Amino acid sequence: MATNPSQYAHPEALVETDWLEQHLDDKNIRIVESNEDVLLYDTGHIPGAVHIDWRADLQDAVIRDYIAPDKFAELCSKNGITPDTTCIFYGDKANWWACYALWAFRLFGHEKVKILNGGRDKWKAEGRPMTKEKPSVAKTNYPTPKKRFDKEIRAFADEALAQSQAKKPLIDVRSPGEFKGEITHMPEYPQEGVLRGGHIPGAKSVPWKTATKEDNTFKSADELKKIYLEGCGVTPDKDTIVYCRIGERSSHTWFVLTYLLGLNNVRNYDGSWTEWGNKVGAPIEKSA
Amino acid sequence: MSDCGKLDELGNAAPPEYPDKLNKIIHLFESLPEEERRETIVSYSENAKKQEPRPGEKFQLEDVRKDEECMDTVGVYLHVDENGKAHIRMTLGPEVQTLTRAMTAILCKGLDGCTPQEIVDLPSDFVTRIVGAELVRVRSQTIYYVLTRIKGICRVWLNRQRAAQAQVA
Repeated sequence: MATNPSQYAHPEALVETDWLEQHLDDKNIRIVESNEDVLLYDTGHIPGAVHIDWRADLQDAVIRDYIAPDKFAELCSKNGITPDTTCIFYGDKANWWACYALWAFRLFGHEKVKILNGGRDKWKAEGRPMTKEKPSVAKTNYPTPKKRFDKEIRAFADEALAQSQAKKPLIDVRSPGEFKGEITHMPEYPQEGVLRGGHIPGAKSVPWKTATKEDNTFKSADELKKIYLEGCGVTPDKDTIVYCRIGERSSHTWFVLTYLLGLNNVRNYDGSWTEWGNKVGAPIEKSA
Repeated sequence: MSDCGKLDELGNAAPPEYPDKLNKIIHLFESLPEEERRETIVSYSENAKKQEPRPGEKFQLEDVRKDEECMDTVGVYLHVDENGKAHIRMTLGPEVQTLTRAMTAILCKGLDGCTPQEIVDLPSDFVTRIVGAELVRVRSQTIYYVLTRIKGICRVWLNRQRAAQAQVA
C-alpha cells in the first residue's frame, strides 16, 4: 500500500531522506543520531549530525532513571540545541533508538521533534552523503526544563498493573517468543537478566516491526489504523500503555500511536520487561 | 619460541598472560586517550574485512553459522600449520556491530601464531582493557562472542587431534 504522509495525524513529525539532504545546512534544525551500536556514529554519519548516546547521555549513571532536567539542559547546550531547534532524530535498527531519544526529549518538554523516515539504513542504502567529521556546534544556553513530563508520557509498574487490572489497552511490542514466555531475551541478543518469561496479563502482542515496511519506513495511516485501532482495541478515549524490555522498541510504537495516529494518551512503560519480569508480586501471563 | 611465550624478569619461562601480539594491541589501547581509543577501535572495525579467507587458502576447520545471540552470520576458519600454530580468518554479516567487527580484527591479528591450546586457555578479561569499560554494555556483549567462537573452533580441532592420537595408540 502506498504511503501518503499527509494522512498521518501529524505528518510534520516525519521527514523524508530527500528533504533532509536538501536541508543539511538549515540553521533551525539539529540532526541527532542515536543508535544501539555505540560506535556506529563514529564510523560515519549524516553531515552535521550530532550523536546522543541512549545510555551515557540520557540515563542517570546511578539511579535507573533518566537524567535530571539540568543535565538535559547541559546535553542540549553542548549540542547546540535551543528550545526552538527542530531536532531530527535518526538511527540504526529502524529508528528504535531515535524514537527512544525523541521520547526522552519529549519527556523534558522539547516540542520540536521529528523522525527521519527509514532511519540510517535507508539514508545509507540510497547512497546519500556520510561523513566521519564531527560537527563543530556553537554552544547554546538551553534553559533547565521546569518539569519532566513523566506523568503524561511515561508509565511506571504500578500504573501498568492498574492498566492490566482495569483491562485497558496494554501493548507488548516484543517478539512473539518473548510475549509467549518461550524466551526471556530478544532473538539475536544476549540474555539481559530477566528471571521470568511471559507478558503483563491482558496485554496484546503487536511486535514493533508490524508498523514498518521492508525499507524501515512507517506503514500508511490506514494500515496503522487497522493494526492498532481495529486490531487491538486502542481508541482515543482510552489510555494506552506500551512496553517492551527496556522501553526502546516501545518508544517506536509510542511514536506511531502518538504522532502518526494522533492519540494523546499513550504512555511508554520504560521499566518494561526487565522490571516486570523480575518484580516481586507482579502477575505474569503466558500464552500459546 | 612461540609468539605466545615470554620470559619473566629473571629470564625464566613463565606462562604468558596474553600472547605477545595481543599484548602489544592491549598496551596500545591502554595508552590512548578515550577519543583516540574510539577512533582506533573504529579503524580496527574497518579492517575486519581484511580478515576474510583469501583465494587459495585452505583450512582444516570452517564454522559458519548464525547463532541466536549474534545479529548476523559469523564464519570462523582455522588453519593450523605444520608447526602447530593457528591462523584464524573470519567472515561477518552486515548486521554485526562495530565493536564486534573491531574485536574480530584484533583477535585475528593478536592470536595469529598461537597454538590452539593457548587460544583455548586465553582469559577474556583483556576485552575491557581494549575497549574501555564505558563501551562494554549489556547490548555490546557480543564482543565476547567472537572470542567464544574462535575458542570453540580451536577446541574442536584439539578434540579431533586427541581422538586421532587415541586411535593411533
